[in-house]
Amino acid sequence: MELHAAQFPFLSTLLLFCIASLGLVLVLPKNSNTAVKWVSAVCSGATLALALFLFAAYDRELGGMQFVEQYRWIPALGISCIHGIDGFAAPMLLLTGIVFFTGVLTMWHLKHRVKEFFALFILLVTGVYGMFMALDLFFIFVWFDVSLLPMYLLIVIWGSTLREYGAMKLTLYLLFGSALILPGIVYLVSVSGLDTFSLPALAQKGVFSGFEQKVAFFLFYVGFGILAGVWPFHTWSPPGHVAAPTAVSMLHAGVLMKIGAFGILRVGMFLCPQGWVHWAPLMAVLATIGIVYGALVGLRQTDLKFVIGYSSVSHMGIVGLGFATMTVDGINGAVFQMFAHGVMTALFFSAVGHFYDQTHTRQIGELGGLCRVMPVAGSYFILAALAGIGVPCLASFWAELLVFIGAFRVYPVLAIISLGVLVINALFILRVVEKTCFGPMAVHWAHLQDVTFGMAIPRAVLAAAIVIFGLMPFLMYEVIQTATIPLINGLNSLAGQTAADSINTLLSQWMSRLP
Amino acid sequence: MFSKPVPADSLYLAWAAAVFPLAAFGIIMIFLRRLPKAAAGVSLSAIAVSLVCAVCLLARHWHLEMPLESTVQWMASSDFEIPVGVLIDGLSLLMLVIVSGIAFLVQLYSIGYMAGDPGYARYFGFMSLFAWAMTSLVLAPNILQLFIFWELVGLSSYLLIGFWYEKLSASQAGKKAFVMTRAGDTLFFCGWLILLVWGGTVSILDLNHSAHSLSQAMVTASALLVFGGIAGKSAQFPLMTWLPDAMEGPAPVSALLHSATMVAAGVFLLGRLFPFFSQSDAAMTVCLFIGFVSMLLSATMAMVSRDIKQVWAYSTVSQLGFMIMALGAGGYAAGIFHLTTHAGFKALLFLCAGMLIHACETNDMFEIGQAGGRRMKLTVLCMTIGALALSGIWPFSGFFSKEEIMAALAAANSPVWYIGGLAGVFLTAYYSFRLIFVILLPGSTKAHGPGSQSGPEHARAVMHAVLVILAVITLVMGFFAESLQNLLTGQGVNAPGVHGPFPAKVVSPVLAIAGIVVAWLEFGRKDSARIGFAGRISPVARLFGQRWYLDHAYGWLVGRILDRGIAEGCQQNENRVIEKILHTVAGSVTACGRAAAGWHRAMIQSKLMVVFAVVFGLTLILLAA
Amino acid sequence: MIVPYTHVMLLGGVLFLLGMICTLTRRNLIMIILGLEIMLNAAAITFVGAGLHLQQIEGQAIALFILAVAAAEVSVGLALVVCIYRQTGTVDPQCIEGNKCQLKPDQTG
Repeated sequence: MELHAAQFPFLSTLLLFCIASLGLVLVLPKNSNTAVKWVSAVCSGATLALALFLFAAYDRELGGMQFVEQYRWIPALGISCIHGIDGFAAPMLLLTGIVFFTGVLTMWHLKHRVKEFFALFILLVTGVYGMFMALDLFFIFVWFDVSLLPMYLLIVIWGSTLREYGAMKLTLYLLFGSALILPGIVYLVSVSGLDTFSLPALAQKGVFSGFEQKVAFFLFYVGFGILAGVWPFHTWSPPGHVAAPTAVSMLHAGVLMKIGAFGILRVGMFLCPQGWVHWAPLMAVLATIGIVYGALVGLRQTDLKFVIGYSSVSHMGIVGLGFATMTVDGINGAVFQMFAHGVMTALFFSAVGHFYDQTHTRQIGELGGLCRVMPVAGSYFILAALAGIGVPCLASFWAELLVFIGAFRVYPVLAIISLGVLVINALFILRVVEKTCFGPMAVHWAHLQDVTFGMAIPRAVLAAAIVIFGLMPFLMYEVIQTATIPLINGLNSLAGQTAADSINTLLSQWMSRLP
Repeated sequence: MFSKPVPADSLYLAWAAAVFPLAAFGIIMIFLRRLPKAAAGVSLSAIAVSLVCAVCLLARHWHLEMPLESTVQWMASSDFEIPVGVLIDGLSLLMLVIVSGIAFLVQLYSIGYMAGDPGYARYFGFMSLFAWAMTSLVLAPNILQLFIFWELVGLSSYLLIGFWYEKLSASQAGKKAFVMTRAGDTLFFCGWLILLVWGGTVSILDLNHSAHSLSQAMVTASALLVFGGIAGKSAQFPLMTWLPDAMEGPAPVSALLHSATMVAAGVFLLGRLFPFFSQSDAAMTVCLFIGFVSMLLSATMAMVSRDIKQVWAYSTVSQLGFMIMALGAGGYAAGIFHLTTHAGFKALLFLCAGMLIHACETNDMFEIGQAGGRRMKLTVLCMTIGALALSGIWPFSGFFSKEEIMAALAAANSPVWYIGGLAGVFLTAYYSFRLIFVILLPGSTKAHGPGSQSGPEHARAVMHAVLVILAVITLVMGFFAESLQNLLTGQGVNAPGVHGPFPAKVVSPVLAIAGIVVAWLEFGRKDSARIGFAGRISPVARLFGQRWYLDHAYGWLVGRILDRGIAEGCQQNENRVIEKILHTVAGSVTACGRAAAGWHRAMIQSKLMVVFAVVFGLTLILLAA
Repeated sequence: MIVPYTHVMLLGGVLFLLGMICTLTRRNLIMIILGLEIMLNAAAITFVGAGLHLQQIEGQAIALFILAVAAAEVSVGLALVVCIYRQTGTVDPQCIEGNKCQLKPDQTG
């Protein structure tokens, strides 16, 4: 892993800006709702701008870790504070910035406990930003937990349907995940003998034996995978979506699930490549089950947010499948899918949030014909739906395309099974669109309001991200590639063969064990 | 190696043909949603530019030695590059002209037809989207680009079928169309993934020229999978029932997308990959067979339908079946030529149907007849011209193309195809003239004529002008058969012209005339019963009217098997198994906690006793250690 | 040393045991506090004995600490008992813990 030191501590600035805004929100007087909202909006806008700058300024030729900053933290324990972004983290920072900004604007009309909401919201996002830029295992773990805990309060206090149940389930699941990650980290640090938590130091070749990597990768895969909605650990996610308020759903599906996938990538794959190779077939199978299963269960849902929740399970399965391919195409596609799904699902939830604010129901059977009274909100909903079913020239298409190409090289059968889901996906998402937006409208909804111009801004930002990266996917891929190619090259040189070959060897070994 | 680079000016023309409609789409959807007139203007000028570019390209490359191809890399992911570009040869030039030409005429017609509709701007936006996707599709030099725009035309079809979204049936039809074509597209996707991953290329020219170097099994497998996509898009058996439902969209949409251009994309793709498909006999036979089944099945459905647009929709499926049969039998030029003529006369038929529907406010042909549809003289005249062409009567364009197809079928390996084709010719003439006679010679008409004609006078004049232009094209197109064949077979693609035995030239026109006569006997005569021969036998009529129960089968498949079967099973698994395990784990943890809590629940002195006992126990253990 | 070390230890142990039995079995809060006091004193005796045996001053120092703590504890404890008795009219711990006893109406709130 090449480290390129930063000329200016951009990443720390980003983080400190969030923390400062959080402090400012906390010291503002209790009733100054407008001021709180403006502070949050400025904070989110500034971090979005900074994230956009970092994404644009990331040197595509140079690659590796850039904008790296290193500070001593607890030298006695080998803990240091290292920040840096590579081709995987840069898109994730951009995603976080976009969802943060649009989330704050979406909650502009909030009236209940405004100060507390935005304080927790900023805290959550700070954790997410930190997680994406941290290069020290200790800090990765700390930021990971910082981004989880505010979720509980945000759902319990501002949520809706079954919020105590949803929030508790979510929290327990995610803490169970971190209860697996922590032993994994401690195990790796103790067996390394290097007395450091620093990821670049631990990621060197030959630090860990094959067995150690297998054990640790499994812990990371399950621990982070819970957050990424890996089947069968996904059941926290749909009820969590349903219970959460709009902006939290956006952040939850848009960014939080990506943290899980990113954790697998950053900690699991960077530190334990042999473990990755070992567990890849399992990952592929679970991901395929998740893809199919999520779509099928989505077919039976009657609550709009449940539908999107299960489609998220299906879409995150595609990320998992991409990881399991161990090819450049697959990983590229998976990381792009993380971005594309984040933006798409945020748009989805913000549109549904508007429907819910206006109609006070999310039951698909009760809605219908909403396009007539709210054409703008409806259009954004349809755009998100089209992105969700993978229509070309919208961001998710390119992601799915590359994942399927990668998967087809390595696991043709699983790839074909997952391809079949494209049809089911189209069926259930279009069914939802038809039942909410199209058809005759009930008379009692004639008075509903469309989104105002101000409220259309966040949706327009999300839609623009979907369309821009859909029309110009190379903007994203040239960044992602810089991280993927070294990772895969390292993997191949390690095994002395390409991923596809190693999978074949593995499979034949397994087959020979069968009677 | 198989191509030369496109000269710069032609490249600009080709890009302009594709990009102008995209720009129009963007401008309309972002800025002009509240300005219907401006939207129509922008959309029309964009498609006019496309048409001019297309005609210039055609004129410039009329005599082309070798296909021209230029690509730029759009996106790369180390192992894999996604190029976009243009491929110019006879087929793409011809299709480009057809697409932009029909699109231009239909948009012109739509100005009058859609006047006063609240979604006027949106309509032209979607039309521009379609024009962009379709022009880019026909210019695509590789299957990936083709697939992308293939999906996008599917999208615009979805949006336009469900254009009147407040009608539930319209949005359902849109969904059905999208999902059914998606099913085919998934097979197509698999097919080209095989070619990409194991064959190593998706460039159309490479595939066409080096198919023989790939293994036979791979060619067959991928060709069959790609044919799945063709069947979906061109509404062939068994993915055919979405097309009649798609008639919920406005009539010009049906004319443009669901008869002339978009549904012909399947045939276009088959033609595009014709040399590749010819490598596999199995795939060619499947083409023949599927085309044959779809052609006959949909012709029988058309015989009993009362809905004027549905009759033309079934007829479209049937004619597409003819084209696919022709290509399957090796008649490359015949199939594509029929595609060309069909685009003209079927668009004409749909636009005429639109005029009648607009005026009489009903889709039912018997009601239109009784409402006095025949008083719209120009419309009915044009419709009759279209029907004559459809039936294959000299000198209309359909005659020439159908002759070529019959010749190709006669030369095919089995006489079944030829006989089936003849039956198809008879049925085509019969159902077309059933419709014509029902409207032209109704038993009785109401006193007053059809309701007020839509739109202002000049708009109606424009609509009539479009009809006349299409009718003229239908009349003269047949005489360009020779030059079109030269254009198509002049380069690269090596498809020998097929010349059937002499009787073929006579038999099919005779059968067509027989069909017309039967239709006259049953529907045209003064004291006829106005029931077709198929309608007299009620089980047969029901079978045809219910579309051979295909929709029931799909309803069963989706509703019972998928929705209430597999999906419900997964849902139950979610609730009963996964949740149950979860709750069991959570319950046992709670139970352990409760058990441990029991120690602390008694009187204070019992708690103290526990403390003492534990301390003693620990002390003993420590001492023992 | 006149008294043998074992005897001192034995005395401490027996006293502790007696205090413990008293604490665990009596149904009167005052007697329970008495039992606690006896245990504390047993501990203090053990400390003094051990301090003597090991010739270290800390044993005696801790005994003094224990006396101080015991005095404080017993005063607070007895005060609480008086309070409880005033409120509930009983000094039975089981009765108090289960809220089974009637609160005196004039003392509530």
